[in-house]
This record gives sequence, C-alpha cells and structure tokens, in this order.
Amino acid sequence: MNHSLRTAAYALLSAFVVLVAAVTWTQAIRGPEYRDNPQNPRYVASLTGRERGPIVTADGTLVAVSEPSPTDQQLFERTYPEGELYAHTVGYTSVLYGSTGVEDARSADLLSDRDATISGVLNGLLGGDTRPRGIGLTIDHALQAAAYEALDGQKGSVVAIDPETGEILAMVSLPSFDPNGLVGGDAAPAGQALEEDPDEPLRNRAIDESYPPGSSFKVVTTASGLDSGVASPSSEFEDPIELTLPGSTATIRNADGEVCDDGRTVMLSLAFIRSCNTVFGQLGMDVGGAELASTAEAFGFNQLVPFDLPLLVSRFPDGLELGTDPAATAQNAIGQRDVQATPLLMAMVAAAVANGGTVMQPHLVSEVFTSDGQIESVVEPSVWGRAMSPATASVIGELMEQAVLSGTGRRAAVPGVRIAGKTGTAEVTGAAPHAWFIGYGPVEPEDGERSIAVAVVVESGGDFGESATGGLVAAPIAADVFATFFGVATEE
Amino acid sequence: MTRTAEAGLIVAACTLAAVGVAIVEFTRGNWLDAQVAITFIVFLLGYGGLHVAIRSWAPGASTLIVPTAAFLTAIGFVEIYRIDANLAALQRWSLLVAATVGSGVLWALRDVGVQVLRRFRYLILAVGVGFLLLPLLPSGWAIGGATVNGSRLWVRMDVPGIDRAFSFQPGEIAKVLIVVFLASYLAERADAMARVDRRIGPLSLPEPRNLFPVLVAAAAAFLILVYQRDLGASLLLFALFVTMLYIATERAAYVVSGIVLALVGGAIAYLSFDHVQTRISAWLDPFGDPLGAGYQTVQGLFAMGSGSLTGSGIGLGRPDLIPAAATDFIFAAIAEEMGLAGSLAVLAGYALLTAAGFGIALRSKDRFRKYLAGGLTAVLALQAIVILSGVLRVLPITGLTLPFMSYGGSSLIANLVIVALLLRVSHEERT
Repeated sequence: MNHSLRTAAYALLSAFVVLVAAVTWTQAIRGPEYRDNPQNPRYVASLTGRERGPIVTADGTLVAVSEPSPTDQQLFERTYPEGELYAHTVGYTSVLYGSTGVEDARSADLLSDRDATISGVLNGLLGGDTRPRGIGLTIDHALQAAAYEALDGQKGSVVAIDPETGEILAMVSLPSFDPNGLVGGDAAPAGQALEEDPDEPLRNRAIDESYPPGSSFKVVTTASGLDSGVASPSSEFEDPIELTLPGSTATIRNADGEVCDDGRTVMLSLAFIRSCNTVFGQLGMDVGGAELASTAEAFGFNQLVPFDLPLLVSRFPDGLELGTDPAATAQNAIGQRDVQATPLLMAMVAAAVANGGTVMQPHLVSEVFTSDGQIESVVEPSVWGRAMSPATASVIGELMEQAVLSGTGRRAAVPGVRIAGKTGTAEVTGAAPHAWFIGYGPVEPEDGERSIAVAVVVESGGDFGESATGGLVAAPIAADVFATFFGVATEE
Repeated sequence: MTRTAEAGLIVAACTLAAVGVAIVEFTRGNWLDAQVAITFIVFLLGYGGLHVAIRSWAPGASTLIVPTAAFLTAIGFVEIYRIDANLAALQRWSLLVAATVGSGVLWALRDVGVQVLRRFRYLILAVGVGFLLLPLLPSGWAIGGATVNGSRLWVRMDVPGIDRAFSFQPGEIAKVLIVVFLASYLAERADAMARVDRRIGPLSLPEPRNLFPVLVAAAAAFLILVYQRDLGASLLLFALFVTMLYIATERAAYVVSGIVLALVGGAIAYLSFDHVQTRISAWLDPFGDPLGAGYQTVQGLFAMGSGSLTGSGIGLGRPDLIPAAATDFIFAAIAEEMGLAGSLAVLAGYALLTAAGFGIALRSKDRFRKYLAGGLTAVLALQAIVILSGVLRVLPITGLTLPFMSYGGSSLIANLVIVALLLRVSHEERT
C-alpha cells in the first residue's frame, strides 16, 4: 500500500507543479496584459484615478478639476465643468483614448508625485511639495464663450491672440464634444461614435487642421511687396478682367468676375480694400516666388512654431521651385493652390501686423501654481521672429482698417473701436468655399490699452454654403469676439 | 530538524505576522501600533502553545508540520489584517481557539493513541454526516442553517445572553471526521475491496457490492451539490473518497470509475443547474461576461496580473476590488500585494505540508495510521488545490477556504485538528 500512497503523493504534488506553472503564467507572462487591461480598475486608477491639479482660465474659471470618487475612496474623478467649450484646448485624460490638449501637454505638472516611485517617496521624505500643481491658462472665458457661440454650430475655428504677448485669449474648434463622456472605462460607445463621425469632432481645427487661406493671405503678399520695395500702397496696377498666367492656360479672375476698378489701372490700396485677385496675382509675380516664400516663412509658414500643444506646420511652396514658376506664384499669392494655413498661424499673421511686424511666440499656459495657490512659475512673453518692418506693418494696418471701414470686412466692425481686418474666401474644388477673416483692434492703441488679434475660419461656407464669402460668414463672428473683448454691444 | 529549531521557526513566523501588521500600519501613515504587539503575542500563544503541547504529549512528532502551518497562517493573517482589521481581530481569537483544540487533541490521545478512534468510527461517521446535514435545518431555529452567497453551508447558533450569533461551517469539521471514519473502515475492508473479480477489456472491476462505497460517495457529493449548492465541498469530498479508496486498495479502477462518475455527475449537474452552467461558462470565457458571471475570476486575474513578480507591496494593492478577498480569493490578494515571489512561497508551503504528511503515512506501521495520515494530508492538499485551481482558472471556481490562510474560524480549527492528528500519527510511528 506504500505504492499507492506514493502514487497519491506524487499526483497531488504534481498538481502543485501545475499550479506553480499557472501562477507563473498568470503573474509573470500574462501579468502585464491583465495589469494594462482597460477594464482593470487599477489601470484606470493609474491613468485617471490619481488626483490631477486644476486647470483655470485667466479670469479664474475652473475648466478641469479632480474630485474624490463617490464610489471608490482611493480614486479621484476628473471632470471638465465647461464641457464642450474647452474640449479641444483643455483636452481630456481618458482610459481608452489617452490624453489630449493641456491635460496631455502638462500632465507632469498636473499629476501628484506622491506615489510609490522612489523619487516620489524621496521627495516626500525631503519635505518637498508632492501635491499636484495647477495650470493657469491665458484663455479669457467670456471671449472663449463668445467665440463658441458666434460660430453658432458651423464647422470651423476661432483663435484670438494678444498681439503684444502672444497669449492665446480664445481657441475654439467646432464641432465639439463633451470630454466628460470620454474619461471612464465605459466610454467606448461614446468614443467610437466620435471617432467614426465624418465631421471629425475630436480634431482641434485651430491647430491640427490647415486650410487654403484665400485672400486673407494677401496680407503676407502685401508685406512681401512693400518690404522688398517692389510696390507701395499707391502703386498703379493694370486692371484686367482676367489675369493671364505665363506658361499656363489658367487665369486669375476676381471674385465677382468683374474688373477691380475702372478696367484701366488700379492702386494697390484700393485693390487691397476690394480684395482683387488680379492685382495680387500680378504683385506676387512682381515680387517673385523666392521672395514671397521668404516672407511667408518669416510669418511662420514652413516653420515649427513652438507652442504648448502640437501645432501643425502651415505650408507654403518651396521658394526655389516657385521662383521659376510665375503662374504658381500668382496663385499662391492669393492664398490658393498649395498654400495651407492653420487658424492659429493666421491669427499670428494678424497679430504680427498689430504688433509692428514682430511675431510673438504664441502660448496657452500662463502659469503653474501649487496646491495652496502660490505661483510657482510664470510664462513670460517672448519674441518668435520678425515678419516685416514696422513701417510696412503700419501701412498694412491702415489698409486693413480701410477694408473694415469700406471694403470686404465691413461686417467685422464694432462701434467705437478701430478694427483692422482682411477677409478670405478660399475656393475648394468640389465643395463650398472656406470663409476666412483675420483682423485686430484697436488700430494704434493708447498706451496701456490691450489689443486683440483674431482669425476665424468657417469650413465649406458654413450655413451659407456656395454663396458664402469671408465678409459674409466669418467677419460677423470676428465682430462678436471684438465686441465681447472691448465690452461693446453689437448692433444686432 | 530539532525541536529547538522548530521553536525558532515558530518564533520567526510570529515575527512575520507582527512585521506584516507593522507594514500595513505604516502604509496607512501610522507608526508602531499596539496591534503589532497583540498579533505577535497571539501567534506566540497559539503556535507556541501547540509547540509546548507537542513537547509534552507527542515529543516524537515531525518538526516540519507546525512551522509550515504557522508561516501560512501568518501570511494569510497579514492579508486579512490589511483587508479588514476587524476580521483580523476575530481571526486572532479563532487562532487561539484552534490551537487550544489542536493541543486538546494531542492531550486526549496522549495515552490511548489514534487507535482509540477506530472504536468510535460509526459514532464519528454519524456526527460527520450530521454536521454535513446541519445547514439544512430551518433558519429560524436556535441552531439553524443559513445561506451565504447562495450556498447553504453555514450554521448560526443563537447563544442566550450574547447579542451576536455564532456561525460556523460544519462541513469543515465534517471533512476531518469523514477521513477518520474512512481510514478506520478501509483498514478492515480494503482486502475485500481490492479483490478483482471481473474484467471488462483492460479494466479490472471489483465485485459490484465492493464498488458500493464509491457510489455512496458519489451520491453524498451529489446531494451536497444539489441541496447546499456547494460545488467546492462536493468536489472535495468526492476526490477525498476516491483518493482514500485508491490508497487502500491500490486499484486504479477506483480512480477511473471515480473520474467517470465525476464527469457523468458533472454533466448532469451542468444540464440541470443554472449555477453550474454559469460557473462553467465563466471558467471557459471569463472575459465574455466580465461584469457578471466572470466578475470574480476576472478581478482575480487583474489582481494577480497587476502584482507581477514582486507585487504592489503589502498595503498598496487593491484587495477591495476582489470579491471574497479575505476568504476564498485570499490567494489573489496575496499574489497582488506580494507578487509571484509570495505566490510561489505559499505554493511551496502547501507542497511541503503535502510531502511531509505523506512521509508520515509512508513511515507508519499499520494500515489505519497510513490511511489516516494519507487521508488527512490528502484532504488538506485537495482543498488547497481545488480552490487555488479555481482562482488560477485551472478549474472552474468552487467555493472553498484556503487552509490556514483564509479568514474563518471553522476552517482554522479543522485544519489545526488535522495538524494535531498528523503529529500524533507521526509521534506513534517512532514509539
């Protein structure tokens, strides 16, 4: 019977060997997979359950906050009190969809380092502050809300910037979404619907989408012409009904298909105010592709402009290639063909004019503060580069003011404030045009008076469709933003 | 290993429990707490007391068993303390009672030896079966059954003058009594049952009337399954019957027919009972219904996987997310906080107990002692294997406590009685 005892002992001990294999499989081999399963509450907690610092706007509006979870004492829940209004700018931290916006870019500051890592423990023992930091944004809540409402559900974007500091005052992208619905482990249905939506609500159109800028690019072409000495505001240009392009069957016509003025000659200043394509196509060829590309790059095209969030590079064709292709130069000079710009870069173009030609580096985060409200670090304004001479900026500012007073930008005007602006209606093959407005105010501010530069783009004509123009669709949106900024009641 | 070395290891196990409590308190921001000292003293009284009892009444006993049991109890206790300090306080009382009962067994058998149990085998069987059926008493009675988590395997006893009712799992005690009965019964009948009279192909079958005990075992297991909805106890009892029959008869036919009966019974149960079907589908595909049937399995896998090699650290895991973390699933909680290192240490502990127990059986001089030691070791090992297989998804989940480690007084008492009987058999083998 010792035989059967031994057999039974070996059988049971073999079972323990199987269990050793099973537990090694579970913990060592499959372990990471179980640990990082989105349904594992520990994984959720490691991402979203930890306390994150608050995010507040410049005027103190709370836009992201962590509160203790009502269901799990050890977890925090991240909520975004302003929901869709800041969905792209503040972003979200999600178990299933990662993190975006400031939540992603400033994660290191927002997370507590009071965790089980060696550095966290050491920092705590050494008396360091291990509480999560808060982030202060440059955004003005009222302006953000005004921009969001002014878009009125149309696909597009509004970016407002302080020309003297580079502070982003508003950044809106539509269509938007509720980031609160993407946070939890149960966000899959909502997230999948957003990801599959053909309107791409998850994309931040202000910085992660580029459009042909259309006539709003004439600001850059004008700057190139004036700075290179090729033209002045009083330069006379031919006024054809159609500009023929050398070496090409394509032609350039004005938006209404008519001549710009009287069909003989027209001054550059009037052509700017009326946004005549024929004249600016010719100006582009007069300046030359290489020079035009060089100016565009001084404004930020083809450049990695540093920003708090990943900023798509705006594109202008290579100067060497363009130098031998006058037809393409003429078409790019009026913001068509190959040129592509993000709304943020076009806001910087307007800001450069407002700021005497100096381009300030745009920034969204103004400060980092500790859990007890002490400011830990402040982002100082810094110069990114120079787009044009102060004299040129001053002249273009006058032209843009005239465009708002009597030209295509009339609907951007607000009473009692000198507004400068340029519209754009970017033709798109097979779709309604994109409506643009870029501008700023006040022109020639008093000492200590704050100014604002704005870029508005409404995709595919918005509610106006094929009949949309920048002056009709985008300029009124800018007017609402200006009115809110300057505290002026709009005419409506 | 000398008796003094055993004492040293017991003190080390007591220290382990106390240090574990200190670590748990530290993770909560507390420094040395009175709980640390109380835990050390209670473990010393319990396992140290058992050690003194061995010196007095079973001085020839094996020195491997008690330190191993003490280490397993200490690791389990630290996890229980980490999950719920109130449960841990009750568990300390259970440890004192269990060690007293274990020492009492050594004292009672000091002169008469385990042989005396053979005389009372039918009484023991009656008490054992009675204990098994006790939970089926109506819930309203002074001693009545109670249903916990869908299984009716608890008994509540209202004691006059005490406001909280005592509850215990008589099945835990019954399993010990049934091993004692079987060892005694088989010691007399084994020869007859081992006789092979019929052959069907390559399979040798005993006389049908000698197969009767297996059928009884299967029937008893099936009844428990049906009336108490207790898959774990049912499987444990049946596996125990088959193992002991095999040890006694050396006939593989019992094992084969046992497995066939288990599969047939399992199939009938699967077709007849929703809760069995749920368990099986949760076993095959726990992630198919991670919030429903597969919830416990999935949470266990998440916990163990998150523990990885070295664990989150005691007090830093999330046992609050694991259903039944202090009882059936305590292994998952330990695996999370102590990692693969801790898991393997626990498995090594059970393997050591199993090897030591069978060693005692092999060295014993007569059948009864061999069957008793083999059966007691088998029931201990089988219980650990069945519940660990469930937690690790080797088998479907069947509710059973993990010997020495899970929270629960009945379980600890039963397992220390097993330890005491093994020690007594081991002592007698040398005298």
